[in-house]
Amino acid sequence: MLRHLVKEKKESNPRTPEDMSVKKALWQDVLARFLKNKSGIVGFSIVVIMILLIIFAPVITRFDYDAQSFPDRLLYPSALHPFGTDNFGRDLFTRMLYGGRISFMIAFIATLISAAIGTVFGSVAGYFGGVIDMIISRFLDILMAIPSLLLAIAISAALGSGPINTALALSIGGIAISARIIRATVMAIKTNEYIEAAKATGSRNLRIIRKHILPNTFAPLLVNATMSIGGSIMGIAGLSFIGLGVKPPTPEWGSILNVGREFIRDFWPMTVFPALFIMLTIFGFNLFGDALRDALDPRLKD
Amino acid sequence: MLYIIKRLIMVIPIMIGVVIIVFTLTYFAPGDPVSVALGEGYTQEEYDAQAEFMGLDKTYIEQLASYLVHLITKLDLGKSYFSNIPIESELMSRFPVSAMLGLFGIVLTVLIGIPLGIFSAIKQYTVLDYGLTALALVMAAIPGFVLAILCIVLFGVRLRWLPIMGLETPRHWILPIATSAFPGIAAMMRMTRTTMLEVIRQDYITTARSKGLKENAIIVKHALKNCLIPLVTIIGGSMAMVLAGSIISENIFSIRGIGTYMYGGISSRDYPVVMAGVLVMAFVVCVVNLLVDILYAFVDPRIKTIYGIRKNKRKKPAVMPGAESEVV
Amino acid sequence: MNLLEIKGLTIQYAMRANTIHAVNNVDLTIAPGQTLGLVGETGAGKTTTARGILRLIQTPPGKIVSGEVFFEGRDLLKMSGAEMRAIRGKSISMIFQNPMSALNPILTIGEQIAEVIHLHEKCSKKEAAERSRNMLKMVGIRPERAGEYPHQFSGGMKQRVVIAIALACSPKLLIADEPTTALDVTIQAQVLDMMRALKNKLNTSMLLITHDLGVVAETCDAVAIMYAGEIVEYGSLERVFHNPKHPYTLGLFGSIPSLDKVVERLSPIRGLMPEPSALPKGCKFKERCDYSCDDCEKEEQVLREIELNHTVRCMRAEGGGF
Repeated sequence: MLRHLVKEKKESNPRTPEDMSVKKALWQDVLARFLKNKSGIVGFSIVVIMILLIIFAPVITRFDYDAQSFPDRLLYPSALHPFGTDNFGRDLFTRMLYGGRISFMIAFIATLISAAIGTVFGSVAGYFGGVIDMIISRFLDILMAIPSLLLAIAISAALGSGPINTALALSIGGIAISARIIRATVMAIKTNEYIEAAKATGSRNLRIIRKHILPNTFAPLLVNATMSIGGSIMGIAGLSFIGLGVKPPTPEWGSILNVGREFIRDFWPMTVFPALFIMLTIFGFNLFGDALRDALDPRLKD
Repeated sequence: MLYIIKRLIMVIPIMIGVVIIVFTLTYFAPGDPVSVALGEGYTQEEYDAQAEFMGLDKTYIEQLASYLVHLITKLDLGKSYFSNIPIESELMSRFPVSAMLGLFGIVLTVLIGIPLGIFSAIKQYTVLDYGLTALALVMAAIPGFVLAILCIVLFGVRLRWLPIMGLETPRHWILPIATSAFPGIAAMMRMTRTTMLEVIRQDYITTARSKGLKENAIIVKHALKNCLIPLVTIIGGSMAMVLAGSIISENIFSIRGIGTYMYGGISSRDYPVVMAGVLVMAFVVCVVNLLVDILYAFVDPRIKTIYGIRKNKRKKPAVMPGAESEVV
Repeated sequence: MNLLEIKGLTIQYAMRANTIHAVNNVDLTIAPGQTLGLVGETGAGKTTTARGILRLIQTPPGKIVSGEVFFEGRDLLKMSGAEMRAIRGKSISMIFQNPMSALNPILTIGEQIAEVIHLHEKCSKKEAAERSRNMLKMVGIRPERAGEYPHQFSGGMKQRVVIAIALACSPKLLIADEPTTALDVTIQAQVLDMMRALKNKLNTSMLLITHDLGVVAETCDAVAIMYAGEIVEYGSLERVFHNPKHPYTLGLFGSIPSLDKVVERLSPIRGLMPEPSALPKGCKFKERCDYSCDDCEKEEQVLREIELNHTVRCMRAEGGGF
């Protein structure tokens, strides 16, 4: 059914310039290849289901995520509480879904920031080359010398906890990789279009960057972004787990897991459910990212 | 040899850069260590004296310069805000434990990940291949600390097979090493498989076959060594993952290593400790990458014979599942 | 007895969407000491045929569907893996098209030659190394360079190493798949001369695959022209070159620029070879043929002997031509 919709779209746009119709045909190919990949569809479905769950959380859940109820502490899963309750009597199912909101939001923001900053650095370095490239590349090397989780921990410790701070902390580590990708793409294209650019005036350069170079960076950036969202979610959970990131009472998978550690001997739901959500989400994004990369890569993967 | 020296020299400016970044981070962190150290009720004079004592009354540049000088000349990483123990002695005493854990983790990753990846590649399209690939995907989705917790629940509490705290007996080492190696194994498996598949398609493998060599001999003698080149790079990345993750995993298993020291520093906002910890870890990563590059030169004869390699010859895959996940 | 007799060889590749009919019912014969040239465009199936002889077809997706390949009287296609491995490199060797990638970059050239010697001949590693140095001398490379790596050699020299590997165990049959295509013309001449000399010295038979008729003229005793997976013309060099009969062969000869005449344009064969996954019925060349008629697409064409040592797969070529 999706194929049918895509084909329709192409026919309704008869007067697009050559550039654009080539791009549209490309996207059709990509979509077709992606749809053939079973694991990609599985990953995509997982992601979509997660997103739907967390968007419709207020509708699906019966309780407030911070509604405490001492008589109902540490209950095992039941019809009323599908995942049980936590040590304050709060419904775990609700807290999982709302925790998902926080995680996804922070992950998306972090990925966006690192892609944006990375694009700026990478395109400047790639396009202008020379000394500017050298300075930026050295800076990126230094950034990459610090393991990104470590960097996130350090920044998080410096800035403090909270969603925005966490997003910032996680985004810095991803800048170097995004910048590298963009830089490589820009440099590859620069040698193609450079002849044209040399003939033109300065302002035309900017247009060339916008119109020719940036669209070509979209694909590798997209793949990198999808892959790194999984890593971000891991990072958010990890940071919250050690007390940075997002602190209780805000629900977050990692911090719930951390609190659940106390009750590990006698009460498994507080550790198992957050773990499951973390793993499932990352798994979904990884599958999706893999399939996306295979679909966008013209070389056959085998 | 020239190549090695060039690489060694490269490490220095990078480390200095790292110091600057980390120092700047902690300098602008909120909170005032001086007032924290003094506690309740102090006069302006006491404040100034304390500030001078802690070296915090100087400007940014002066403090940075002083830190760098101390670091380079005396390997002095400063003192904790809260105790007067010099940080580097603490780190030194804890280093062996963390280093051993990390090393065993890497060894496990290589010993399990590479053979599984090779099997997966040779037996492409079979059930074994699909199974192993699926396994790698699942493994890559489990952060190390999540696995650690689940293992504790399963093996420590329910089944009571393995101990979960401290490192007294050899059995105590099993869970910490296994859980920190886990994500690395997944990444190694996938990368080995991808590389091996590419190598098997190469023309020189067909040449080897046309000589009449047995498949096993072809894999071992011709394919394997060619595979190792990109894999050696991943080992460097794995080390970084393991180190960063040790902060969390050492905490989970109550192990007295660098990770817990850093964790303590983070919790109490003891910035010199955090800073020193980050520096040491970044340094270890640099050294490991350097060793990797040197190993590269030995494994790949093309590098042996060419001097003056551009530093970025080592190809870092831009996108790699599992490597993004740097939490153990 | 003929050294090599291929009968009815058919090789296909099973892809996801369709089947590629790469080689269709090919018959070839090579006598001891003889050089057979296999000529055709890219995609005609020459390399697949060659690889099929040594059973080096990638399976999956490739498959030798039917046929027999008799080498010294024994059918290679029925041999076990071990028997086949004993033949490869020792009785039959192969030289591949691209010398740049045919050698393992992390082993020295000396090791790569010694490997095949040590594998098939009963000798120690030291002897194998010694013989490998001799082979280097034979192909015109200084034996002191045996400890160097492939990337330290030029394309032409790499191809010589490949030839050294192939001839190291004095094979009875050498299959050379476009050995000079990737080299420039001056090196081409050198390599061909060397191959010819070695061939004469060791009395090796050769299956030379090429698209260059000039090379065929200089080195071969017999020629087979291949098109869309089939042999369309086959015979002694003299007969095929002096009396070509198949329209495709005529087209090939016609497209060679002449040294004597002055012409304004080259005359290529119009059209393209049909897709191997969608071969037409009847004559595969009909679309591009200037002499075709309606009957040509009705029946499958067979090889017809039009004179001694000369067969043609064309119903219109019989009886004196068009």
